Amino acid sequence: MDRDGFPRVAKLKDGSSVEISLARAADGPALLDFYRSLSDEDRLVLTDDVTTPDWLARFLAKLDSGAATSLVARADGRICGEATLHRNLHGWSRHVGEIRLNVARDRRGKGVGYALAAGVVKLAIDMGLEKMVAYFVASQVAARKTFERLGFRKEAELARQVTDIRGIKRDLFIYANDVSHIWAAMEALVEDSRPHEGQ
Amino acid sequence: MARTEIRVGGLGGQGIILCGSIIGKAAAIYSGRHAALIQAFGPEARGSACSAQVIVADEAIGYPYVRSPDILVLLSQDAFVQFAPQLKPDGLVLYENELVQVQGKLPVTARALGIPATRFAEELGRRLVLNIVMAGFFTGATNLLSIDAVEKAVLDSVPKGTESLNLKALMKGYEYGRGLATPT
Repeated sequence: MDRDGFPRVAKLKDGSSVEISLARAADGPALLDFYRSLSDEDRLVLTDDVTTPDWLARFLAKLDSGAATSLVARADGRICGEATLHRNLHGWSRHVGEIRLNVARDRRGKGVGYALAAGVVKLAIDMGLEKMVAYFVASQVAARKTFERLGFRKEAELARQVTDIRGIKRDLFIYANDVSHIWAAMEALVEDSRPHEGQ
Repeated sequence: MARTEIRVGGLGGQGIILCGSIIGKAAAIYSGRHAALIQAFGPEARGSACSAQVIVADEAIGYPYVRSPDILVLLSQDAFVQFAPQLKPDGLVLYENELVQVQGKLPVTARALGIPATRFAEELGRRLVLNIVMAGFFTGATNLLSIDAVEKAVLDSVPKGTESLNLKALMKGYEYGRGLATPT
């Protein structure tokens, strides 16, 4: 196990378990298999077409550059869930990370999504990010609840912002989790000021 | 009686005092030794000269001030100019090599080891952990304290939620210091 605490075993609500690990380039083919196994319904509102080799190449390049960090959940030797933290390494949103999460239909409702999302949130804090965002459509009720348990709150709602793969326009919910207070405490600690002065 | 005098010097806002405090805690609380910490601040909280004097000893410390440091940990050029002439002849200077230039003020028998701690901290995600990188560098380069003791002192000192990044910063500096202290 490395200092990020992965791989680790997550116990699920039904008593089974999954192994959560950091995705590596070698996981590429298995990741593509996972996304290709999702139904059209499950891929209805994904940002990218995650079934193509081009997507995988772009994704692995982002992992390599540090612009993305991914956790995969494995059970019975196959990937059953994936969560990615996307971040801008430069520019005005470099303190913000975007989290995307997908779980195989037959593994939903057991805690796989929560284990993955919690792991990515911890990675984001460990990277020094101050804010995380996640995007949902109205029908993703369970996913929104998962993120709410991790401190996310709805920050904006954009009407007809998403065109799903069937061409239907949907409202987009932007959820955010501001963790800047954690780093504010560290900033106060390194202030090097006299006690009771300038505080 | 083994007594090691350490001066940590830099600017307010670099976490100089926290760095000194971690070294002292690691010695006194987690290594069963004695330690004393004296803090000195400039008139402003940020940007003015700031230093910490740390004594680590095997026996009780009667005089808590640094007279002639065995080890300097320096994070600003002004600190180098001020404290380098006080170094013991066979002393050790650990410096942030993008902030400090070592220029002819050291005893000829002294050693100086630099680390790009600011860059390391930024690569880890937060410039804020520069001082923890330096604490790790101190640990790896001096062998005065065990990394386990310093790790415990870091965990005891930093805010909840920041532990993991701070430990990464500590280990980054530690590994770099070990590499310089024991060249292959």
